[in-house]
Amino acid sequence: MSRKRQVFVAGALALAFLLQIAVLPQFKLLGVQPDLLLVVAAVVAIQDGPLEGAVTGFCGGMLQDMVSPLVMGVGTLTKMVAAYLAGALKGFFVTYSILLPVLLVFLASMAEPVMHQAVLIMLGQEKLPPFQVSVIFASALYNVLVVFVVYPLMGRFSFPGKDESFGLLKAGGG
Amino acid sequence: MPSAPRANRSRVVLIVLVIVCVAVVTLYVRESDQGPLHKIQDVFLDIVSPISSGFAKLLRPIKDGFINLFHLPTLSRENAELRREVADLKRKQAGAQELEAEVEELKELLNWSGENPEMENVGADIIGQSPDNWQRLMIVNAGSSSGVKKYMSVVTREGLLVGRIISVGSRSSVVQLITDSRSGVGARNQRSRETGVVEGRNERVTRFVPMSDEADMKVGDIVETSGLGGTCPPDIPMGTISKIEKREKGFTRMIEVEPYVEFSKLDKVLVIIMPEPESVILKEAQ
Repeated sequence: MSRKRQVFVAGALALAFLLQIAVLPQFKLLGVQPDLLLVVAAVVAIQDGPLEGAVTGFCGGMLQDMVSPLVMGVGTLTKMVAAYLAGALKGFFVTYSILLPVLLVFLASMAEPVMHQAVLIMLGQEKLPPFQVSVIFASALYNVLVVFVVYPLMGRFSFPGKDESFGLLKAGGG
Repeated sequence: MPSAPRANRSRVVLIVLVIVCVAVVTLYVRESDQGPLHKIQDVFLDIVSPISSGFAKLLRPIKDGFINLFHLPTLSRENAELRREVADLKRKQAGAQELEAEVEELKELLNWSGENPEMENVGADIIGQSPDNWQRLMIVNAGSSSGVKKYMSVVTREGLLVGRIISVGSRSSVVQLITDSRSGVGARNQRSRETGVVEGRNERVTRFVPMSDEADMKVGDIVETSGLGGTCPPDIPMGTISKIEKREKGFTRMIEVEPYVEFSKLDKVLVIIMPEPESVILKEAQ
């Protein structure tokens, strides 16, 4: 990832965080809001590689954990792993279709809350947030809608380095 | 295919990140509310709040437009309902004024002095909300510099209960709404005086769990805070009982309470300043 791309991703993450806390709660559909931080991390993982996605997921999760009264670090861990998985799975497909990021973001969005709940249970948290499959599914679908905007937008600013191919077209993601 | 050194580097970075996460989780779980990670959270809140506040102000017209657009079809019906309600309330107000005068007279006769000091409060703007789907939180731009402390109650300008403070920075705080699944507020039925707890469920409605299973509850009854627990002042209206679902023998009834507050339309709140809400909770825990 080039230096320009790193700066761009950091800016995108900061903007996503602000939108996540200040704007998206007003645009709930079926009572849920999209997880823009996860979408950005997963898209980076798909476009730039699983490691880059994991680092973005780590930073996004940390930002979210900073304003959440739940255990700090859990969201950081799960977002990082979910983004990494999205990027790693990308390596198994050779297609330039938008449907691939859609599928991968959907899977990451389904996996992340499951992992989050599992970690909280392992930590022995007494009052867990309710585990509602319908909410997870609706949120994953909402994230998929957001991908149609975020994916091309982030692909447009890939700033490839001298020895890097265009991020959007990297089949292996590495 | 990634090259071997790059794959190794990836592995090392990943392992380091996982270790950092595990360390943060462990420290956070083990430390007290005054610990360094909690302090970092509070400082972060203070850094983010002015930016989030500006963002929220900038986007308020869009938010209002969005809300109005969604409520357009129901606007005329709502208007008619509100007019009826105003007329009804005016009638009730006249009756209440008479009753109030009567109570004052009786108090004087009995030489009774109740503990009802005027509550001090701090106004705050809502500058952010929960970043995920699993919590019902709000971030407000009032913190410890304004006298706000953990566990203080938050109400609307009309005096309806919104929630309580769960995290405090110097210029901002996090409010846990009464609809949050981890929220439990001491409550009572205004009519029958039966007490219990109103629990959040991460849904629009909350659940009233009465102390007694045989408690006298009816749809339409007003639920208010009981003041039991010491952190929330009594008599703050919370909502009305909207549904009572009878369960099979041996199971408790499901009593749903619809909060008065429309959380999506809120933009300003008041924090009720109480002497030491946190110490009450700590004393009870001991």
